[in-house]
Amino acid sequence: MAKKTSLYEYAWRLPLILWQGLFFVGPLLLMVAMSFWLVRNYRMEPDFVFNNWDRMLSRDYFWNAYFVTFWRATLAAILASVLAFPASFALAFRASDTVRRWAVFFLIVPFFTSYLVRIYAWQVLLAESGPLNAIIGFLGLGPFTMLNSGFGAMVGYMTLVLPLVVILQTFSLAAIDKSLIEAARNLGANPRETLLRVIVPAAKVGLIIGFVFAFILSFGDFVSPFYLGGSNPPTLSILIVDTTKSGQQWPRAAVVAVMMIATLFVVAFAAVAAAYRKRS
Amino acid sequence: MRIGSAISWVYVAALFAFVFAPIVTSMVFSFNSDRFPTVPLGEFTTHWYETAFSRPEVWTAFRNSLIVAASAAVFSTALGFATAYTDFRYGFRFKNAYLALALLPPTIPLVILGLAMLAWLARLGLSGTLPGIIIAHTVMGAPFAMAICRLRLQQMDSALEAAAWNLGASPWRAMRTVVIPFCAPAIISAYCLTAAVSFDEFIVAWFVSGLNKTVPVMILEILQGNVDPQINAIGTVVFLTSMTLVILAQLLILRKTSS
Amino acid sequence: MTNMTPLVTFKDVKKSFGAFKAVKELNLEIGRGEFVAIMGPSGCGKTTTLRMLAGLEAPSSGTITIDGQEMNDVPVHDRDTPLVWQSLALFPFLNVTENVEFGLKMRGVAPDERRTRALQWLDRMGLKGFENRRIDELSGGQRQRVALARSLVTEPQMLLLDEPLSALDAHLVIRMQGVLTKLQKELGITFVYVTHSQSEAFAMADRVVIMGQGEIAQIGKPQEIFRAPQNRFVAEFVGRNNILEGVVHGDIITIDGSDFALPGAPDGPVEIVVAADRMQIHATAPTDAAIAAEFVSEEFAGTGIICYFEGEGGEELKAQVTESQLATLQPEPGKMFWLSWAPDAAHVIAG
Repeated sequence: MAKKTSLYEYAWRLPLILWQGLFFVGPLLLMVAMSFWLVRNYRMEPDFVFNNWDRMLSRDYFWNAYFVTFWRATLAAILASVLAFPASFALAFRASDTVRRWAVFFLIVPFFTSYLVRIYAWQVLLAESGPLNAIIGFLGLGPFTMLNSGFGAMVGYMTLVLPLVVILQTFSLAAIDKSLIEAARNLGANPRETLLRVIVPAAKVGLIIGFVFAFILSFGDFVSPFYLGGSNPPTLSILIVDTTKSGQQWPRAAVVAVMMIATLFVVAFAAVAAAYRKRS
Repeated sequence: MRIGSAISWVYVAALFAFVFAPIVTSMVFSFNSDRFPTVPLGEFTTHWYETAFSRPEVWTAFRNSLIVAASAAVFSTALGFATAYTDFRYGFRFKNAYLALALLPPTIPLVILGLAMLAWLARLGLSGTLPGIIIAHTVMGAPFAMAICRLRLQQMDSALEAAAWNLGASPWRAMRTVVIPFCAPAIISAYCLTAAVSFDEFIVAWFVSGLNKTVPVMILEILQGNVDPQINAIGTVVFLTSMTLVILAQLLILRKTSS
Repeated sequence: MTNMTPLVTFKDVKKSFGAFKAVKELNLEIGRGEFVAIMGPSGCGKTTTLRMLAGLEAPSSGTITIDGQEMNDVPVHDRDTPLVWQSLALFPFLNVTENVEFGLKMRGVAPDERRTRALQWLDRMGLKGFENRRIDELSGGQRQRVALARSLVTEPQMLLLDEPLSALDAHLVIRMQGVLTKLQKELGITFVYVTHSQSEAFAMADRVVIMGQGEIAQIGKPQEIFRAPQNRFVAEFVGRNNILEGVVHGDIITIDGSDFALPGAPDGPVEIVVAADRMQIHATAPTDAAIAAEFVSEEFAGTGIICYFEGEGGEELKAQVTESQLATLQPEPGKMFWLSWAPDAAHVIAG
């Protein structure tokens, strides 16, 4: 058997290795290599120098962008996790299976609609003379400046990550063995204690995964900080776009990209470690 | 508990309102006559659709988007299915690395993927071409297709394929007569979803597209100019296109799991 | 029973999965037209044996011959060894007729002919009128018969069955046993039937192969295995047997201090088997030899009532009685009884 089918087996296994090797691993490795290349007379030359690294890592604007991006992504992940939780809780414990299935479906929908158009819609909604300020105006308040600010960017991040975080949290909460909760209540735990000591620990992995995805997506997002945050201050993704699009400074953009990937790896590993850490 | 429950449902409704506000807004304002939209609304108009779709470059962009989405979906689905089948059927050394290779692309920020793709495709002479975008979108779509096909295979009795061999089908024939028919709904829905992913993707496409713009890339560039309700019109068409694909996919998945 | 040359020969067949030895040194011959049941507890290697016969697993060493041809390098799809799967493995996206036609289609039989043959088989299996049904519209018993038709439509010389009745309700099992034995007699082909159920194996098979831990523990006719288990494993696995240790001296065996007749056994310590339905219970000490035992509990089995006792040496003893016997005995936990058996009910097993 094994001998006979090996051709068949490889025919199914190899396409992914070849394709992702050629068009996923290849590009990423080239990008890492490129961060050590030299740009001379607006032309890149393969080399192994640290010029780009020196240049980027010694500039304040890089580190400012780095910390802004990190801080905003952290804030977005916390905010999304906190905002999502009550809704996930209701969907997991108070909704019927049918309602929950439909809710999840409607949360998947935005994922496949143009993020860009949604952000443009927020631009319209949040504008100084836009509908939201008009409504607030009826109450005799405002107008508020919501665009081109940290607030605007955060609205964008939530648009991007909130549906996904709700889905992940709902699944992990719904998977909790209900008798666990009943046992806690039966043993005299009040709702708050049950939540903190039984439900949250039991759903820990899902909650952390939701947090990490929110972080990863916000950390790498370009659209929200650019169109709603007004690139002020710029984030790392804006830095990459600017550096790439204006002139042939791809190697410097590559440095930023490598720094971002390294950061995401560290965060993801830390989160996985936290998720599966045994209680001591 | 009654009041707590009511509050929590109000909260869920508010959250859904937030999620759907931009989608609804864009649709509503695509029919609104005011150039600078606010409340109260202006008159109903199809002006923005007429303006948008009278521009030949919009039609070209739609044509590009359709070609890219249709092709990238074919490759993504084929790759995704092959990978899902491999994971389902075989165990081998370095399988974890293999699966990581299959599932990692969505975790890489799009700007980074865009930059890496741009540099790589430029070396291959493919940057600025539709095949370049198709390649990039295939890389991004394959993991989704893989996930959908893998879930379907999970529902397949592994004896089914063996039963086909046992009745005289060679492995290839069993694949054609049993595994693929069994997975057909998942394959179609994977096709729809990866087409939708490609149809909406703009960052990587923006990096590698050059002059061959897709619809979202065009929107991106209009957006860098000024407030323009044409975006709402184009966006609504894009939205309806992807929604059709997603609903189709969802219906197929649901119908399958129920039987 | 039929042709002298066996249809299937396993010669020194071994199969291991990593460190686990699923089958150790299997030697077995299966005759033409024979109904053989391979029986044993889960993990005994019976399913692996069947899968090797179908070519779904390759032997680690040794050879399997079917109809004189060595099969080791013949791939699954080139063998004529249709299998009825435990899960049935009917194709859910094909209707009943299409399922039955599948094997013929793979063999390149023309559409008209394969349709005719499929319909004939469906008719034969009592499935007329269900030709265009979907699989999920059938009952368990009907699916079973579709699976049989699908395997038999190609007219194989051997049918493999892997616990095909394990998912059915008890009353359907009995009916399907009838269907299977009748079918096997009519077709005159070899059935190799893997099961963990004694009642299925003993009810249908001409010959039963008992396997334990990858080895054949005993091969024989159902009656032989039931009445004369060759070793402790078979005695414990088959039926409700009492296994008693004693010492033979002359034609006498001494158990718990009592002497019982045991003609023809070699001297020395031995183990004997007495089936529960051949144990006699006495409320008072009989004049003949008997083992004193304390009543522990009773259990209603399908064919009678099993009474459990504990002997003075702590050994567990069981005896099968009828309901009226039970009423006369009036057992209560802790009450003493005496157990004995006719000399011909005892059977010596190898230690």
